[in-house]
Amino acid sequence: MPFAGRLLPPASDPIETSRGAGTGSIMANSSDTLEGAAVAAGTTDLPEPPGWWLRGPNLTGFILPFAILVLWELAARNKWIDPVFLPEPAKVVTAFWTMLTKQRLAFDFLASISIVGQAFLYGSVAAIVLGIAAGLSRRVEQFFGPTFDTVRHIPGIAWLPLIVLWLGIGAPAKILVIAKSVFFPVFLNTLQGIRNVEKNYIELADVFTLTRWQLVRKVILPAAMPSIMVSLRYAAGLAWALVVVAEGLSGLEGLGFLIFRAQGLLLTDQLLVCMVIIGLVGFAIDRSMFLAQKRVLKWKQGYEG
Amino acid sequence: MAAPGHLRIRDVSKTYASPGRPLVHVLSHVRIDVEPGAFVTIVGPSGCGKSTLLRLIIGLDDDYRGEIELNDRRIVGTALSRGIVFQDHRLLPWLTLEQNIGLSLENSGWSRAEKAQAVRQHIALVGLSGFEKAYPHELSGGMAQRAAIARGLANRPEILLLDEPLGALDALTRVHLQAELQRIWEVEGITMILVTHDVEEAIFLSNRVVVMAANPGRIVETVDIDLAFPRERADERFVALKRRILAAMGEDSGRRITRAA
Repeated sequence: MPFAGRLLPPASDPIETSRGAGTGSIMANSSDTLEGAAVAAGTTDLPEPPGWWLRGPNLTGFILPFAILVLWELAARNKWIDPVFLPEPAKVVTAFWTMLTKQRLAFDFLASISIVGQAFLYGSVAAIVLGIAAGLSRRVEQFFGPTFDTVRHIPGIAWLPLIVLWLGIGAPAKILVIAKSVFFPVFLNTLQGIRNVEKNYIELADVFTLTRWQLVRKVILPAAMPSIMVSLRYAAGLAWALVVVAEGLSGLEGLGFLIFRAQGLLLTDQLLVCMVIIGLVGFAIDRSMFLAQKRVLKWKQGYEG
Repeated sequence: MAAPGHLRIRDVSKTYASPGRPLVHVLSHVRIDVEPGAFVTIVGPSGCGKSTLLRLIIGLDDDYRGEIELNDRRIVGTALSRGIVFQDHRLLPWLTLEQNIGLSLENSGWSRAEKAQAVRQHIALVGLSGFEKAYPHELSGGMAQRAAIARGLANRPEILLLDEPLGALDALTRVHLQAELQRIWEVEGITMILVTHDVEEAIFLSNRVVVMAANPGRIVETVDIDLAFPRERADERFVALKRRILAAMGEDSGRRITRAA
């Protein structure tokens, strides 16, 4: 909160100032008592102190979406763009309600979530297990190396047609393909994270006569955790983006299917509903992965993600 | 409390060969006898092999000639009967203070309650009570080094090796921790071997100071310190000993310079 300190006059108690920078309520008190009448006059009816809008990085982030919304509304209302291609925001909201109550939006939404959830789970568990094995043993790494480096370069989408031939257009094919895309970043980061563990720590474990299993569990895994967590966060976002593509290419359910169907039927409002949902869910996934990361790595000094 | 260990280093030599370079004699015929409960300090210039010697004693390196025995048994690999404190505190950043100390007790074979008690006692011993749940990044350099000392002592080793444990600290904290270390040694009554650059620190803490020189790494002088604890740095005899040890170190470096010329 860089502005908080500036709102206070220089004469204020430095301890009060520094504390005020941390919490809104203390800042409010000191501002009320110490700030001049001019500032107070304009804000007397506000429960919040003057400058409340400066406080929130949480609010700053809403400025741009709001501006886009306004622009969208203007563009639609003034018919800058044909309504067939860009319906009004209000119509999109109505479409959302119709899809939710009269159609199967919730079902499709859950179908997508379930595919991503399973794919992420299987892909990351396999990646962490194999990543640890390869990280601990050069031989395991050499065994998988050439195969993985080749398979990795065939995009998931290129796998899909073959997998669909084998497994059909249902969920398993998509889960497999997305799990593959989750697997590689997590695998490579786990491997690298383990290889980067400080030699000093291994030596310390030796001094404590830790067994190999204790060494892995107590030293190597925690040391590699920052690198693993970063890749999990990345992979979660990737999986969500891929499910839309996979559903668009094959199958008869899910948000991706709805999007492509809406395009075919020129139901632009429904198409936009799906896009907004995909964006918001992606945002939520990323934020929750970030929180999980922060929680797991709370020991890390100055960790900001 | 474990009985203090009797460490015998007998004629230990170590050479380090790297292709295309002349053979480096890291240690040459080093002989030290550390009686049970003694505090022996090894001083010497960088490269005299004093830290290497500690690595041999702790068991991280077994590529040497000669014998190192603790209580008449040849040392093999690392063991919980030998503890060490490194110059970098080497606390694991993802563990709290008490978990860090607990990690050293993982294979002690003690019950949960015994481990918890040992952790608590040693945190108190180094004056860190109240910081049990703190992560290493929340501790100052001096506190982290105290924690490392507590960790080195927690499983009640027969001997504790200190590899320049106070080397990275500021002068004030260092003097303070030297007094602490002296007190801890008296309380614990175990054998300690300290490696340091700091001659004053050596005289302040030890029964005996071993002066080493480089190329090849060898012992040039052994000085017994029989001043009563706690020692006074301004004391005449303290100063005289300091002069003598510095001379033993300086003489050698002078010789090296002439030899190099």
